[in-house]
Amino acid sequence: MDDVSERQMQRRGHGYEFHASEAANTLSGDAYTSGQDHLLPIANVGRIMKKALPPNAKISKQAKETMQECASEFIGFITGEAADSCQKNNRKTINGDDICAAMKTLGLDDYADAMRRYLHRYKEHEEKATSRDHNKIACIDVVDELSVSKTSSSRRHLFPTNPSVG
Amino acid sequence: MRQAGAYSSMLVGGVSGRTGPHSLPLARIKRIMKQSSDDVRMISAEAPVVFSKACELLIGVLVRRAWAAALRRKRRTLLKEDVAAAVTNTDVFDFLVQVVQQQPK
Repeated sequence: MDDVSERQMQRRGHGYEFHASEAANTLSGDAYTSGQDHLLPIANVGRIMKKALPPNAKISKQAKETMQECASEFIGFITGEAADSCQKNNRKTINGDDICAAMKTLGLDDYADAMRRYLHRYKEHEEKATSRDHNKIACIDVVDELSVSKTSSSRRHLFPTNPSVG
Repeated sequence: MRQAGAYSSMLVGGVSGRTGPHSLPLARIKRIMKQSSDDVRMISAEAPVVFSKACELLIGVLVRRAWAAALRRKRRTLLKEDVAAAVTNTDVFDFLVQVVQQQPK
């Protein structure tokens, strides 16, 4: 697996200094409360950790903090690679496929494959939801028309023939 | 986590409303992405969604390996050193080696 290490080391010089100093500041004192936005919330991280462990397991605060740092480094590491690739191809927006491709480049093949499948399902779901929402708006218009017409038949002519979108 | 309704998701651009609540906040993920490098300009809505899931996977894998390390040491409490052991024992986590070593005691 030296190949993986090598690929990851090539990326290594790029942004780690930032995280190193942030890590030291964050863990050493409460004064650095404003610096928490580079980490995922400890409650969320703790919950995910708990789910993966047997019920009798206990998790120290330091273990959670370490996991927060790992997650942020994971995000930054992959994003850096994806951003480089986008720049080389003159693209301004980093999308889901770029993230998956970056994972592959950095030797995180299992993540790349799993995320490609997830992204595919997510996009399908998005498409379905979009068409569903359009249908819902049409349905509301019909209901609206019916309730209005029930109150007074003489007022029907006051309402526009094209139902307005709610 | 609040779950957006069908209409608010249409106004917002449709990330959280459609796929249900995510276990990690997307805005925070986006901020972490932006901080990672100066080259990061625009981020599509789906990118933080992918990371939310990927981070769940990462944390799951790491924590299970860390747990194995804790059990080897006859402990039921996960400590920082168990997470460190999990990182050093797994090749694909080479990029995390410095993160776990950085932790001040």
